Amino acid sequence: MRTIRVWFTKTGEASYISLLDLQRVMQRALKRSGLPVWYTLGFNPHIYMTFAAPLSLGQESLCETVDFKTEEDGYDWDAAAPVLSACLPKGIDVVRIAPAALDANDIAGAAYAVRYAPRDAAAARAAWEAYNAAPSAEVVKEGKHGKTKTIELKTHLPTARLLVEDGGLTALLRLPAGNTLNVNPVLVLGWLEDASGLPVTAGRILRTDIYTKTGEKFS
Amino acid sequence: MDEKLRAALAAVQKPGRYTGGEPGCVYKEKDRVDLRFAFCFPDTYEVGMSFLGMKILYEILNKRENIWCERAFMPWVDMKRQMEALDIPLYALESKDALSRFDVVGFTLQYELSYTNILAMLDLAHIPLYAKDRGEDDPFIVAGGPCVCNAEPLADFFDLMMLGEGEVQLPDVCDTIIQGRREGLSKKEILKRLYKIEGVYIPAFYEVDYLPDGRVAAITAKEGAPAVVRKAIIADMNSQPLPENFVVPMIGAVHDRAQIEVLRGCVRGCRFCQAGFLYRPMRERNADMLSRAGQNLCANTGYDEISLTSLSTSDHSQLETLLDDMLEWTPKEHVSMSLPSLRIDNFSESLVRKTTAVRKSGLTFAPEAGTQRLRDVINKNVTEQEIERTCSLAFDAGYTSVKLYFMLGLPTETLEDVEGIADTAQRVVELYYQNPNKPKGRGVQVSISVACFVPKPMTPFQFVGQDTQDRLREKQQHLLRSVKSRKISVSYHDSRTSFLEAVFAKGDRRLSRVLEEAYRRGCFFDSWEEQFRYDTWLEVFRDLGVDPAFYANRAIGLDELTPWSHLDYGVTKDYLVREYQKALNARTTPPCNRQCSGCGANALLGGPCFAYN
Repeated sequence: MRTIRVWFTKTGEASYISLLDLQRVMQRALKRSGLPVWYTLGFNPHIYMTFAAPLSLGQESLCETVDFKTEEDGYDWDAAAPVLSACLPKGIDVVRIAPAALDANDIAGAAYAVRYAPRDAAAARAAWEAYNAAPSAEVVKEGKHGKTKTIELKTHLPTARLLVEDGGLTALLRLPAGNTLNVNPVLVLGWLEDASGLPVTAGRILRTDIYTKTGEKFS
Repeated sequence: MDEKLRAALAAVQKPGRYTGGEPGCVYKEKDRVDLRFAFCFPDTYEVGMSFLGMKILYEILNKRENIWCERAFMPWVDMKRQMEALDIPLYALESKDALSRFDVVGFTLQYELSYTNILAMLDLAHIPLYAKDRGEDDPFIVAGGPCVCNAEPLADFFDLMMLGEGEVQLPDVCDTIIQGRREGLSKKEILKRLYKIEGVYIPAFYEVDYLPDGRVAAITAKEGAPAVVRKAIIADMNSQPLPENFVVPMIGAVHDRAQIEVLRGCVRGCRFCQAGFLYRPMRERNADMLSRAGQNLCANTGYDEISLTSLSTSDHSQLETLLDDMLEWTPKEHVSMSLPSLRIDNFSESLVRKTTAVRKSGLTFAPEAGTQRLRDVINKNVTEQEIERTCSLAFDAGYTSVKLYFMLGLPTETLEDVEGIADTAQRVVELYYQNPNKPKGRGVQVSISVACFVPKPMTPFQFVGQDTQDRLREKQQHLLRSVKSRKISVSYHDSRTSFLEAVFAKGDRRLSRVLEEAYRRGCFFDSWEEQFRYDTWLEVFRDLGVDPAFYANRAIGLDELTPWSHLDYGVTKDYLVREYQKALNARTTPPCNRQCSGCGANALLGGPCFAYN
């Protein structure tokens, strides 16, 4: 049995598909694609799938992954990518299918690009520069069962790189992601809203890369 | 995606309802089609995406290169608020274009309590509500679906309604509009061509006069429109391919599975059932055609569950063959089968075995009434013995929960009949414990769900007045008192919604201003308990001087002209009267595949409905 990893984008309309819904979508797409996918052996057989570091609703990504299992050896996974892509909704494109090299538990960080339209670029720039200059940036994270936790964002993101592109602004951030510690970029945007009045919804969040503990790209 | 829309989506629950882009949805170049059709379902996305009719017509229209059919649903309260605040007009999910930019905006009328949602959707789309207020540049606003059999309360809002089956009729309507536009005709001139199509009803071409007491005096056709509009029908269901591509919702729809329509219509003739009379005569599809279409549908959609859909699936003459055919491919393609609408009286052991081959779910049956006498009144030809036999079979097969559907407020019903509901459920519980083959160590759960009877047009009970709410509540309480076992759970419907349902089911054109005013005062999503504003409805009726009891609770004379007298679904009024009189004497009518009772619907096919031996 081998674990196969599918890399896919989740943009536009597809960014509004929740993880629960994505599981259903992927299950059906894999079934339609006819790829040699392993089914569980219970009374109600289904495809065994694992999504690494799922994305928040409304955020976009170029680097989502789902793993499935196969008993097939020597299958041409390169050729399978467009086949699976054709079975998926608008906004989900399969980038690559290949045997998994690393364990999903190795994921430790992710890179994001937060994009602002030209209309909001000046305000966004001011807000982000204020963040970069601030000695401390604490936010309260609401956890399960109503518990709250205070997080010092500066520990994880001392500064963000700012890029001016086509009159708009893009902030590049790298934050912890994975099973043990996860800092949602929305927390940073929330801080900006509180500190500078820049609405959270002004920034479009795009996940661009996933990294392991040692800083190499997840593969 | 537009920035305003993104802002709205960020602020609402389940944004996936409003984005489109699901697998199977159709995109076309808008400048390269002759007609754009917006198929509107006046309820939430999850409800609308369960509806097979939309899938059928979506596929038929989109197969036409020059027509683009898209979808729109009623946005939930939070999204409606966002759209109003951000000035986002109601749009179709595929192109995100406002409905006002379409050539035809079509609503399906499935339920009376969704009428206010239609007004809300038109309003959100910035389309004038009344047909008379719309101009040449506004879309044609059209309707289809079962409630069209008497959508007189909505008559003033629609340009056109379509009676009967849309598979052939709707493309014809679209073609006539395309041709009319090409010739530069006005909307009215196009409408005058459209009524020549079977089943097309143009409300504005009919004048309704009323008697001083409020009853209808006369319905007069104008502009050369036919005096009586007769529904469209597909004579041979095998001539009509089944949809093999569904738009597959990503957020869970209410019915989120593949569906194949095994037959249309019903042979049973239950006297309360509007669908049973609207879709006559019953017509089947061949088993091999169904199995093949089901297999293709599952392959194209990736669904792992398929439902054999119809009003009464177990009445299909080749059901066993069909199940055998399907069992050839369903297990190896990891697909499970479900059969809704089974009948108690022909539920067989092999049927149980075949449907549980893949997955076991609960069993649901609908005796509808608690005593044999009352079941005979409503012509639900199910006997006590059959209920017991079926439950024993099911318990033998390992089922431990049974759901039973009943109605309260049926014509001639007494408190004794109400007690009969509790007795029936109690007997099922006892049957379980007497069954030596019951699953070891497990109890039984019998749920009874009790609806309030709503008399519907085009049925033998159209003449009946609905029980008053006081009476219905009294019967509900009596039922609760009659249930003694903790193995039995009872749920019942709110009699207030059933009352409004009756008002609009049997209503006339004078109710359109009631609908408009109720909508203006905040009534929509009336079928959703948390949104239902009954007091507002009562205020509107009072302020406009309309008596709702006139429509819901008044018995209609057998010789009275009903608001739907000019609409013909094939069943004659004489037959409805005959059936009603038989009902009062608790006399039954056999299923029509066994013996023809002369309802008149065979004229739609031009010959007998079945090959009687």
